[in-house]
Amino acid sequence: MKLNRREFTLGAAASVAALATPAIAQTEPLRIGWLAALTGPTAAPAIGFNRGVLFATEAINAAGGVKGRKIEIITRDTQSDPTKAVNGTQELISSARVHGIWGPTNSGESLAVTPIMARAKIPNIHPCVVDPLIDPVKYPNAFRLAPSNTQWDDAVRGYALKILKVTKVAVIGDATGYGVAAAKASSEGLKKDGAEVVYVANIDATQPDMTPDLLRARNAGAQAIVVWSTSTGMDARLFNTRAVMGWDVPFVGHPSMSSGDIAKLLDKPENWKKVYAIGYRSCSYDEAGKLPPRSEELIGKLKGKVDLSDTLLWWVAGGVDAINLFAKAVTETGSSESAEIIKYLNGVKNYPGYFGEYTWSETNHNGYPTSDVVMSDASTARDGTFRLAPGYQG
Amino acid sequence: MLASILASGLAVGAIYALTGVTYNTMFMTSRVMSFTAGQLGMVGGVLGSLFALRLGLPVPLALLATLLCAALIGVITELVAVRPVLKSLDQHLYVLSTLALATMIQHTVAVKWSTEPQPFPAVFGFSIAGVDEKFWLPLVTCFAVIVGLEVLYRRTLVGHAFRAIAEDNFAARALGLPERNLRIASYALAGAIGALAGFSGGLLLLAFVANGPLLNFYGFVPVALGGLGNNRGAIVGGFALGLFQQAANFLVGGIFSSVAVFALFILVLLLAPQGLFGAPAARRV
Repeated sequence: MKLNRREFTLGAAASVAALATPAIAQTEPLRIGWLAALTGPTAAPAIGFNRGVLFATEAINAAGGVKGRKIEIITRDTQSDPTKAVNGTQELISSARVHGIWGPTNSGESLAVTPIMARAKIPNIHPCVVDPLIDPVKYPNAFRLAPSNTQWDDAVRGYALKILKVTKVAVIGDATGYGVAAAKASSEGLKKDGAEVVYVANIDATQPDMTPDLLRARNAGAQAIVVWSTSTGMDARLFNTRAVMGWDVPFVGHPSMSSGDIAKLLDKPENWKKVYAIGYRSCSYDEAGKLPPRSEELIGKLKGKVDLSDTLLWWVAGGVDAINLFAKAVTETGSSESAEIIKYLNGVKNYPGYFGEYTWSETNHNGYPTSDVVMSDASTARDGTFRLAPGYQG
Repeated sequence: MLASILASGLAVGAIYALTGVTYNTMFMTSRVMSFTAGQLGMVGGVLGSLFALRLGLPVPLALLATLLCAALIGVITELVAVRPVLKSLDQHLYVLSTLALATMIQHTVAVKWSTEPQPFPAVFGFSIAGVDEKFWLPLVTCFAVIVGLEVLYRRTLVGHAFRAIAEDNFAARALGLPERNLRIASYALAGAIGALAGFSGGLLLLAFVANGPLLNFYGFVPVALGGLGNNRGAIVGGFALGLFQQAANFLVGGIFSSVAVFALFILVLLLAPQGLFGAPAARRV
C-alpha cells in the first residue's frame, strides 16, 4: 500500500500519542473525586469525612505520593441534593476525568448517582447505608465501606435479644421513608428470631407529645424499644416522656440517639441513660477509657491536626481509609485504570483500616464486618468516640 | 389518660387557635388569605430561642424583640406578597405570593438557624395545679390575646377602624379611613400574634423549622371551620381541633391521627361549607 504524506503524518502522530499515553498516565496525579454534602441538612457526616480525606491526602503526598504520583482530591459539594450530586458526578467523570470516586455521603444522593457511575465503570467507594445501593452484578464498580442497614438491624436485634435478653420488643420509626422501611424490616427480623413484637408505630417527628405511643408500648408489655428515627427532636421527646412515666425500658437503635444535639433537649441528663445507639468497635472505648490499639494510633496521628470534639471518629477514620484504599490499589497494581482498581478492590481481604477491617470479593461488595457493629452507651460521647454498651465480651 | 389528652389537647389547641386568629387578622383588612401565618408561629419559637438562649437576653426582653421582628415580617408580607395582588383578588394570586414568601421564610430559617429542633427556655418555670408550664402557658396566652383583641376592637378607635374596613371596604374608604396604613398595621399586629403563638408554645413544640408547615396546615383548619374572618369561630375550632387530634393520637396512634383529623375536616366542610359559624355572604342585587 502506498503511503501518502498525510497518512504517514497521521500515523506517526497516532503512534507517538499511543506510546506517550502510558508514560503520561504514570506521572499524572491520581485524581480522586469526592462527592460531599458539605452544606445542607445532612452536612455533619461529610464534614467529618472531609477532615479524614484531607489528612490522609496530605500524609501520602508528604511521603512522596503514590508511586511518585501526587493525589489530587476534586471535591464537589452536593448540598445534600440528589440533583446536584448527579451533576457533580457527570462533571467528575467527563471533564475532571477522575480515577475513582469517594462518596456521596447520603443514601438519597447515592441512589441517584450509582447507576451513572456503573455505566462509566468508575471505581466508587461510599459509606451510605441503604441496602439496594450495593449489587455486585448491577454495580460491579461500587464498594461499600460502612455497614448496610441490614447490618445495623442485625446489631440492634442481636443486642436486644442476646445481651439484654428480652423477648417482647416495641419498634418505633419516624414517618419518613427511611423510618417506615427500617421499622418494617426490623419487626420482620425480630419475629424471625423468635421475639414477640408487641407494638409497632411510625410517629411524625413533629409530634409534640410521645405519651400516647409510650403508654401503648408499656401496656403491651414491651421490655425494650427499638428506635429507627433520624430526628434528634423525636429521640429527645421519647427519652423525656420515658422519664416522666417513671419507666426504665431501654432504647436500642439508630445512631441519631447518640447525637450531641440531644443534650440540650433533655429535661434532665439522666434521661439519656439506658439508651444504646449503633456504634463501631473501632470507635468504642472500654471501661478503662481505652480505644482499640489501631484507633489509639490514629488518634495520636490526628492530635493537633484534626479536631475531633465536634464530630465522630468513624467519619474521620472512614475518610482516611477511603483515600488509603485508593492509594493502595494503585500501588499494588501499578495502574490507575478503572478495571485494575476494581480488580484490586474485589480481592481485598481483612484490609486493616482505621474504621474497620474490610473484605470484598466478586460476589460481596459490603466490606464492613457485622461483628464490629456494636451498641454504644449513647450519652458517653468523648471526642467522637463512645463507651461500649454493657454486656459485650472482648 | 384523659388528663393527658386534656392537657396537651388544650395546649396545642390554643396554639392552633392563635394561628387561626393570625390568619383572620390578616384577612380582615385585606381579604387575603395569607399563608405566612404558620411560619410566623415558627419564627416566634425560633427567635425566642435565639434571643433568650443564644444571645442570653432576659426573657421579657427576648419576647419584646421577637414580637417586634415578627411585626416587621408581617409588614414585609403586606408589602411584598399582598399589595401587588390586591388588584386581582379574584385570580387568587395571593395564594402563590404568600406561599412563596412563606417558603422563603422557612428556608432562610432552616439555613441560618438549624434543621434540628433547638431547646426553648422556660418563661416562668413553675407549674399550676400540677400542670407543667408547657401546657398552661399557651392557654393563658390565648386567653390574654382574646381579651386584648376584644378591648382593641370594641374600645379603641383603631379597632373600630379595622372592623369598618373588614365590613365594608368601600364605605370605609369613602369615609376617609386610611386603608393602606390600617392594612399595614393589621399585618404588623398579625405578625405579633403569630409570634406569640409560637413563643408560648415554644416549650411544647420546640424551636423547630418544621413547625412552620405544621402550624400553616393545622392553623388553617380552625379558620375554615369557624368561617373566614370570624375570630370566635377560630378559637372554638382551634380548641376542638387540638382535643380531637390528641384523642385520635391516643386511640389510633401517630400517623392515623392525621388521617382522622383531615377526614373529619373534610366531612365538616362538606356539610357546612361556610364553616360552622360563618354565614353565607349575602349579596345585594
